[in-house]
Amino acid sequence: MWLLNFLPNWVFYFVVIGSSIGLLVSQLIPIQFRTITQAALAALVVFGAFMIGASYNEEKWKQRVVEVEKKVAEAENKSAIETVKIVDRVVYKKQVVHDKAEEVVKYIDREIVKYDVKFAPGGVCEIPKEFVEALNKAAE
Amino acid sequence: MKKYLLLLVLFLCGCSTTVPVTAKFPALPEELSVTCPPLKKIPEEAKLSDITKTVTNNYQLYHLCSANNNALLEWITTQKKIFKEIQ
Repeated sequence: MWLLNFLPNWVFYFVVIGSSIGLLVSQLIPIQFRTITQAALAALVVFGAFMIGASYNEEKWKQRVVEVEKKVAEAENKSAIETVKIVDRVVYKKQVVHDKAEEVVKYIDREIVKYDVKFAPGGVCEIPKEFVEALNKAAE
Repeated sequence: MKKYLLLLVLFLCGCSTTVPVTAKFPALPEELSVTCPPLKKIPEEAKLSDITKTVTNNYQLYHLCSANNNALLEWITTQKKIFKEIQ
């Protein structure tokens, strides 16, 4: 409401109180002007009360915005902290997997290699083609 | 005068306003947005050590993919929980 931006709140309280007093005093006004004066004063009371309500609502609304903004900022901060924790954990886990695999490869190069000749095609224990085929099919 | 005062009561109705502040769900961290690579195949005429290496490599790929997938699930659950708290 644009009116709330440049009029201070006390103006509306003043309008309500002033026009309410005016309504009470209006009984003393001569009858030919009374009705129109009362209508105008009642309109002012309504306007003032409405604006008081609006300004109260505006204040509450602004408070709520500040509150929610604070909550959102806190949540974003918490979210960033949690993300870093999760990423750090997964990076560490992946490193462990890599290290383990490297160790196994070293073991293969040291120990399994000894059996390469024995299991070579035409060797004593030739690995059947079907064995390799089955593994490759499973890997597809 | 009573009629005018009655009008006043009619105007005293509250209005509700929704707060125009929304929390954006965070973007997925790059480290977690990795797709699982296809498993490696054993080359023809492979030696026993080659076969074992390929199998080891595939196990490694599975473990990496599993770690990533679990972390992704954890990340989504945590973020959902955090952002549910402010709603």
